[in-house]
Amino acid sequence: MATTATLPFSCTSTLQTLTRTFSPRLPLRLHRLHRRRFHHLPSLAALTRLPHPPLLVGRPISASASPNGASSEGEYDYDLFTIGAGSGGVRASRFASTLYGARAAICEMPFATVASDDLGGVGGTCVLRGCVPKKLLVYGSKYSHEFEESHGFGWTYETDPKHDWSTLIANKNTELQRLVGIYKNILNNSGVTLIEGRGKIVDPHTVSVDGKLYTAKNILIAVGGRPSMPNIPGIEHVIDSDAALDLPSKPEKIAIVGGGYIALEFAGIFNGLKSEVHVFIRQKKVLRGFDEEVRDFIAEQMSLRGITFHTEQSPQAISKSNDGLLSLKTNKETIGGFTHVMFATGRRPNTKNLGLEEIGVKMDNNGAIVVDEYSRTSVDSVWAVGDVTDRVNLTPVALMEGGAFAKTVFGGESTKPDYRAVPSAVFSQPPIGQVGLTEEQAIEEYGDVDVYISNFRPLRATLSGLPDRVLMKLIVCASTNKVVGVHMCGDDAPEIIQGIAIAVKAGLTKQDFDATIGIHPTSAEEFVTMRNATRKVRSTTDEVESKDKVVTQN
Amino acid sequence: MLKDEDMAVADGGSYDYGLFVIGAGSGGVRGSRTSASFGAKVAICELPFHPISSDWQGGHGGTCVIRGCVPKKILVYGTSFPGEFEDSKNFGWDINGDINFNWKKLLENKTQEIVRLNRVYQRILGNSGVTMIEGAGCLVDSHTVEVAKPDGSKQRYTAKHILIATGSRAQRVNIPGKELAITSDEALSLEELPKHAIILGGGYIAVEFASIWKGMGAEVYLFYRKELPLRGFDDEMRAVVASNLQGRGIRLHPGTNLSDLSKTSDGIKVVTDKGEELIADVVLFATGRTPNSQRLNLEAVGVDVDQIGAIKVDEYSCTSVPNIWAVGYVTNRINLTPVALMEATCFSKTVFGGQPTKPDYRDVPCAVFSIPPLSVVGLSEQQALEEAKSDVLVYTSSFNPMKNSISKRQEKTIMKLVVDSETDRVLGASMCGPDAPEINPGWNSPVCC
Repeated sequence: MATTATLPFSCTSTLQTLTRTFSPRLPLRLHRLHRRRFHHLPSLAALTRLPHPPLLVGRPISASASPNGASSEGEYDYDLFTIGAGSGGVRASRFASTLYGARAAICEMPFATVASDDLGGVGGTCVLRGCVPKKLLVYGSKYSHEFEESHGFGWTYETDPKHDWSTLIANKNTELQRLVGIYKNILNNSGVTLIEGRGKIVDPHTVSVDGKLYTAKNILIAVGGRPSMPNIPGIEHVIDSDAALDLPSKPEKIAIVGGGYIALEFAGIFNGLKSEVHVFIRQKKVLRGFDEEVRDFIAEQMSLRGITFHTEQSPQAISKSNDGLLSLKTNKETIGGFTHVMFATGRRPNTKNLGLEEIGVKMDNNGAIVVDEYSRTSVDSVWAVGDVTDRVNLTPVALMEGGAFAKTVFGGESTKPDYRAVPSAVFSQPPIGQVGLTEEQAIEEYGDVDVYISNFRPLRATLSGLPDRVLMKLIVCASTNKVVGVHMCGDDAPEIIQGIAIAVKAGLTKQDFDATIGIHPTSAEEFVTMRNATRKVRSTTDEVESKDKVVTQN
Repeated sequence: MLKDEDMAVADGGSYDYGLFVIGAGSGGVRGSRTSASFGAKVAICELPFHPISSDWQGGHGGTCVIRGCVPKKILVYGTSFPGEFEDSKNFGWDINGDINFNWKKLLENKTQEIVRLNRVYQRILGNSGVTMIEGAGCLVDSHTVEVAKPDGSKQRYTAKHILIATGSRAQRVNIPGKELAITSDEALSLEELPKHAIILGGGYIAVEFASIWKGMGAEVYLFYRKELPLRGFDDEMRAVVASNLQGRGIRLHPGTNLSDLSKTSDGIKVVTDKGEELIADVVLFATGRTPNSQRLNLEAVGVDVDQIGAIKVDEYSCTSVPNIWAVGYVTNRINLTPVALMEATCFSKTVFGGQPTKPDYRDVPCAVFSIPPLSVVGLSEQQALEEAKSDVLVYTSSFNPMKNSISKRQEKTIMKLVVDSETDRVLGASMCGPDAPEINPGWNSPVCC
């Protein structure tokens, strides 16, 4: 629905001016504060509808099975009550209110850097103890690699640069406070009532926040997740990611248990700040679920930067010695001398003590709320989005789920979130970006698959002399020629993959990629100049044909 | 312009070669390699290697590798570090004592890299079965090239097809004292870093060098004729780039030309057309490049050129002489390496691959490696308003990137989409901010398709 359709003018050139002036600008200004903190373009399609306050005359009557989201005044306190003001919760309540005119309230616990049963904060994990602080620490820790690189470009220092952890953490925390303030403003400006406190469901239409009761036609649970740790001896000496982001001092020697993205990101952060880093993983390789070649590549690159990996090791106990240092005992060995031991061994949906069991909201074995394709729970008036549903646990996906929920329940348009081709990144050093299928998944789904790989030393590294390399990989379905998976490990991978994700989502083919002219000199242009398949996998003949060796371009 | 008898030529027949290429830069190397892969017998001539080009010096790899894209990018990397050091402070880094920059070391490492790449290009040609001949090539007739070798000797070669890919050279504007100014060739290989640099020009080369020298500690003055640099780019983005350059300390002099250069004991005295006088160690003219077609004897053979010397070609890159072709900067179409590569590949497919293929110039992305950089693809806002049949929606996002929220650098990133309101097609995308050139290529496929 184009904005122009709602404007009463017919003159093209006038409309062009107005379009520029009104449609994008005004709503963009409303959201600029929001966007400044989140490095994604918000749903632009939604924004074109924003110039006018909700034009809805009367409430939309949904043709679908879901009930009309809004209620008449007086029947309930609110049309929507959301528990949890993180990514999913804020998005859902904001859109419900501004786009569809719903009366919305949201509750959230008071702010703290480390989450607990009673502490959280507006903005949620992403803003306060996830994506944002993590990225700031990655930025802070990357400089040491840049200092090293700079020598090959002619730079030297009288004394080696030194890092002060407390400055980084203090500045990080100041930024978090600012963001909390901005989130509160966003909710306020959206007409959403913000209630501080811990929400608990009393019945399918009632939420209690610190004893005070609120009724709502619909309840949305968006309470996210929390780090989870195994119950082994000495676990009380162990820190999780929340605490790691707010340590009083930098670890000298740290053991990180875990092989997922959180473990690798923190390994990179502490290694960059010159801690001695040991990573313990249960599997043979890190990043289970990622493309096999990427798993190998990142481990090698991180090892070259000084991180020690201990593979196929399961933690059994942690003990503290008299000098205050920690030892980690695994099924294979015991290593001591750690100032810190961190577990990044998974996160669990935050569903304890919410009153869910009592009203019959179904959960799985992990505590995740079970929802249908529209994010509705087993109780008609109760919905859930984000990490608490344990679908694809990424902020942009929570935003999508929140937006789709609001559209379904209040916008009169039943909308399912679309999980195809969701890109993601690991902010390890070097970072990883990916979208679509891994090679293994593609072979399983399509059988015949062409794989294009570029593994090279980037221009920057030929000058710096450091052993940095870049891996870029395209996976193409042989029968349709569609690019079904793209993977990259190297500098700027997350930024590069974002644009590529548009192409993958649009179902573009390898020919479309090849027809696209590159920008020179960049790393990204490699993706549009991969001429020869590195290997062609044919399930029919059960053989792999290698046309080319992997091309190393130096 | 399809010659049936030219399709899928296996060898020259009665000629020495099926294809003779003059110029081993981006277009020439790609054209010879791909033609050889279709089975053609190919030879290529190129001048001896030197970082500074001249009538007698060039080198395999051409402008891009030796005195363009690659060395430029290396210098941009080198000059980015001080800004990063500055930003690192609020992330907790303390650099006690002096930070020293050794320009000679960077220059040495840069030269080492371009020499290495030059050798890689030669190897690529060798491995493709292309005969390499060193010297300056020119046309004798429509099937004969004469190469003047470095030792003074001359040799003639006949070929069924000739491809001209001699690129371009930097030009100096014609003002008194112009011989005191340098071009980008010299700028990439200066012995000493300037302390005071004056740059004349408003294009990407001028802007990039302004950023490079500023980052390395020079005082930089940038003079250009228009109100904003980067004519032809999206106006909003031009303003952002100008503002960023200023923010980083470059002194901008819009709407100003230089009228006179003279040598003094303190350096080069520059007089502007506004009567201002300045002294600089280095004056760079980044005032345009001209196609390198003067010494090819084109007129005698009947190959038409336009008023600036660009070889006129049709959509298949064929010149006014049926078996003589030209690609890359010498044809002055879109002067970017990836486009030269495309033109050359299409030429090979047409002439030797049996697949007449026209280069597709729609939605060619490009980048300016200023600091922070700019990247664009598709239509600018002005172009969209002129060309679009229906209304145009413009989406812009102007924000302080997360890194700056800690570093406190006052520099916004701008991202912009221009959309046809009726079809919802994205007509153009542009971005000015860190990593813009890496981010944009991903946007290009969707814009093109």
